[in-house]
Amino acid sequence: MSAKDDAELTTRLAAILPGKPEVRVTGVASLGAQRRTLFLDVIENDQTTKAVAQIAGNVLDAADIEKEARLLRGAEKAGVVVPRILGVDVEMGTIISEHVDGESIPRRILRLVEASPKLGSQLASDSGRALAMIHQIPTTEFQDLQDLTSSDRYADEMERLLESLSTPHPTFRLGVRWLRRHKLNDSLEPVVVHGDFRLGNVLASDQGITAVLDWELVHLGDPMEDVAWLCLRTWRFGADDLEVGGFGSLEELRSAYEKAGGEWRDEAFHWWTVARTLWWGLGLARQVQAYMDGDANSIVLAASGRRVVELEYDLLCLMGDA
Amino acid sequence: MLDRPDATTLLKAMAETLSNEVLPATSGGTRHAVRVVANLCRILEREVVAGPTASEQTRQALADLLDDHADATLPDLVAKLDQALRDGDSSSATDDATFDSRVRKVILADVERRLAIDRPGYAS
Repeated sequence: MSAKDDAELTTRLAAILPGKPEVRVTGVASLGAQRRTLFLDVIENDQTTKAVAQIAGNVLDAADIEKEARLLRGAEKAGVVVPRILGVDVEMGTIISEHVDGESIPRRILRLVEASPKLGSQLASDSGRALAMIHQIPTTEFQDLQDLTSSDRYADEMERLLESLSTPHPTFRLGVRWLRRHKLNDSLEPVVVHGDFRLGNVLASDQGITAVLDWELVHLGDPMEDVAWLCLRTWRFGADDLEVGGFGSLEELRSAYEKAGGEWRDEAFHWWTVARTLWWGLGLARQVQAYMDGDANSIVLAASGRRVVELEYDLLCLMGDA
Repeated sequence: MLDRPDATTLLKAMAETLSNEVLPATSGGTRHAVRVVANLCRILEREVVAGPTASEQTRQALADLLDDHADATLPDLVAKLDQALRDGDSSSATDDATFDSRVRKVILADVERRLAIDRPGYAS
């Protein structure tokens, strides 16, 4: 980036903030194809505030930014710990939010938990509370989100993903059949579902969760979807004994979830555990396909091909013999 | 006649060189890539040893399950199983569950053989 581009960027960013303070870019968190994330210093009256700017890379992502800003505001109002928004430019597809201290890398957080098991319990109850609050965000403002509440519709969606793969995956086919055979008959009101609540997408300190991030996969759905996702073996990062994210127990998560007003449904929890394991297995299989088709050339995507079998195993164990 | 060192010896040496010599000299994203590649070498080392037998065992189990002729190929059998599961009669839930339970047994054995190559220790 040239000095001129840099100056243009900081001017544009400053224009989004109230009072048009001075803005300095202090670092680059990520340079995705979809989105740039920059660390900023916002300087006003000799006071420096650390901030984060997310800048959409294209029109599609700009629409997501608008949605994300709306959600962050809704989540904050509902009492979820999220970074406070300092400014949004919908046309430019940019959100500037306050910088929150905390660790995001899962293995580092799990090392902290190993050193202090009490932190694990704290993270489990923070997760339960945060999810219960997310599920209580009023849905009126979010009617445009995709609705995946019904188990029938979710099974159809999984079959569609399966059909889009160019190689057969009998284990996943078995998974779709299981989802259909065990479909849920609950009639429930759709809630806001985060869609990717797990280590890697939250910030944590030695005090617990400091912010819930990464709202890109948010949709309307069954609250048990979020809870089940957090409990998949794949998100325990090797700490398999601790069912919840590799850091806590199901009892701790459940009791915090219920205490904060969430309703726990065992049968639905199990159904969604199967459904989300299937979804992630299909996700990895799609990464492999992108690699094989030449659409992506990262060795990490190629290596995903050898992880699909883990999800197959998890799926078979969860489905049991029926 | 193939030359020496053979594939397993070379893959083992490649993994060790990456882990012991290259990894300490790298950082950040490169470090992650080196770890991934070293792990892939170890997967391939195990695959060279156990892969052919694992595939043959699955091939035989699928031929039995699907009543197919004894020399049907593995890709054909997998495609046939997938088709059978896709066309399965979901109106008779009991038959369905019985068939799925037989399929599950064969698939689980195959998955365990693949895990022994791709991620030893995962199925325990």
